[in-house]
Amino acid sequence: MRKYYEIRGWLLTAPYLIFTLIFFLIPLVWAIWLSTMDWNLISPRRMFVGFGNFVTAVQSSKVMASFINSFKFMLIFVPLSIIVAVAIALLINSLTVGANLYTVAFFLPYLASGVVTSLVTKGLIAINSPVNRLVVRILHFQPPWLSDPGWATFVIVALIAWKFSGYYALIFLAGLRGIPKEMYEAAALDGAGPWTQFRRITVPMLYPAFFTVVVLAVGLMFGIFTEPYMLTGGGPNLATHTWQLEIYYQAFSSFKAGYASAISILNAVATFAGVAVVRWIMRYWGRAYGYEQ
Amino acid sequence: MVTSNKRRRTVALYTVATIGALISIFPYLYMVMQSLAPWNEVDRRVFPTTFTLRSYQFLLTGGEAGLARPWFRAFFNSFLVTGVDTLCMLLVGAMVGYALARLPFRGAKVVRNFLMFQMFYPSIILLIPTFLIIKTLGLNNTYMGMILPKAVNLWAIFMFSSFFASIDRELVEAARVDGASEWTVMSRIIMPMSTTIVTVVGLVLFLERWSELLWDLLVVKDPSHMTLNVLLATMKGPYGNYPGPMYAASVLLTLPILILFIIFSKRFLSGFQFIFR
Repeated sequence: MRKYYEIRGWLLTAPYLIFTLIFFLIPLVWAIWLSTMDWNLISPRRMFVGFGNFVTAVQSSKVMASFINSFKFMLIFVPLSIIVAVAIALLINSLTVGANLYTVAFFLPYLASGVVTSLVTKGLIAINSPVNRLVVRILHFQPPWLSDPGWATFVIVALIAWKFSGYYALIFLAGLRGIPKEMYEAAALDGAGPWTQFRRITVPMLYPAFFTVVVLAVGLMFGIFTEPYMLTGGGPNLATHTWQLEIYYQAFSSFKAGYASAISILNAVATFAGVAVVRWIMRYWGRAYGYEQ
Repeated sequence: MVTSNKRRRTVALYTVATIGALISIFPYLYMVMQSLAPWNEVDRRVFPTTFTLRSYQFLLTGGEAGLARPWFRAFFNSFLVTGVDTLCMLLVGAMVGYALARLPFRGAKVVRNFLMFQMFYPSIILLIPTFLIIKTLGLNNTYMGMILPKAVNLWAIFMFSSFFASIDRELVEAARVDGASEWTVMSRIIMPMSTTIVTVVGLVLFLERWSELLWDLLVVKDPSHMTLNVLLATMKGPYGNYPGPMYAASVLLTLPILILFIIFSKRFLSGFQFIFR
């Protein structure tokens, strides 16, 4: 029996192990080796530059912009998407008829390809588009959608928030449905109003969902590519420049494979550190609610 | 008084929910409307005065500008790449997940820990070397080049492993005691229980693969092998002056996913609630 488990176990795991060797371990070592090289992806001439690429990267304004932008996006995206998602979840949870239909409607944005949503956005903010004209009529001025750093940031973040809020709402909804009704009834008997109930029951009981969503959202902010690639190319003034955009441009437009590898390692370190800090903060918050992990 | 208050609350709730739902689906509606609009009305009004298929016709024939692009081919390419990858990811996910959860082989724990480490590893580091590996193998500009590096999905393995771990051991043991073979256990007990997880994981994997841009953009430069997503993204240049066909192409890209999701929406939503419980 033991032997049976051994053979079966390794046999079934084999595809994963082979894949991991070819598409994880070898690339990992290769990336580290590449990051110390000055190489243009094609020519046989490579030059060892040691930490040179990293020194250049740290001093580069584009890499700096990518680093800062991931936090800038995070500061807007995380609260925005979470507030909207919790609101959607609470709303759906209190509907009696047609809850499923509304759930589907709110989830649909998640299905859209970033390429498509970017194209539609481009249409919606075109000068003569009905939506732009409506906005102009309300605001009494033409918003500089993609030509102003602040507005461009807002457009990109709003686009991603539109896409992910419904998805996050589903996670919160699953949490909401797991809260026993008796807790609210008992609280109401003790004279707790809706706001107190929300703060003292709903939010603490939803903590696991908050944890999942925040970690997902923060991780996402370090890996944005499609929307700025399609809409802004990173501009204006590097306001929407991202790590992946910079790596893509350096490696496949400027053909600086070594330099781009160094940036990708910095990106990984930043993502790792960012997610670790956020997990630590979330754990700290969870302990206040009595969750130990 | 109480009932009228309650009714007012219900009306308010449904109003807000409907407005929210409309915001969610508005871009889809807009996209479909623009794809069917006469060209002088594209991006001018939400609902066109008349409907025409000119944008679709232009897209498929190239129109008078002679910009024929292989849309049918791209549609096929997308299905091929996404379909094969989704099947591979599901199959490997189920196999490895089963082994890790139910076969206590020596080393299972190491593999499981390594998997967790790998899941949290930002895959961007691997982008350039993976591209070089594909190039070294001579697989750039081929379907294999798009399929292979995405054929195994860590999240799928993780999901299947926790699913198999959640199956009641006693149920399986009882069946074994009654003389059921490993195959009977698999086909009669485990497979029927796994339809939900396969639906949820399968749909998410299909969706993610279908929407992939960066990797496919890198591997394929030849239009005859491009997926719909890549073809649409690289259309910026030549089709920039033809917004109508761009919307038509967007509809082409979005429709299969929408149909697939709506067919499975009931099972997907209940499965999703189950997973994130």
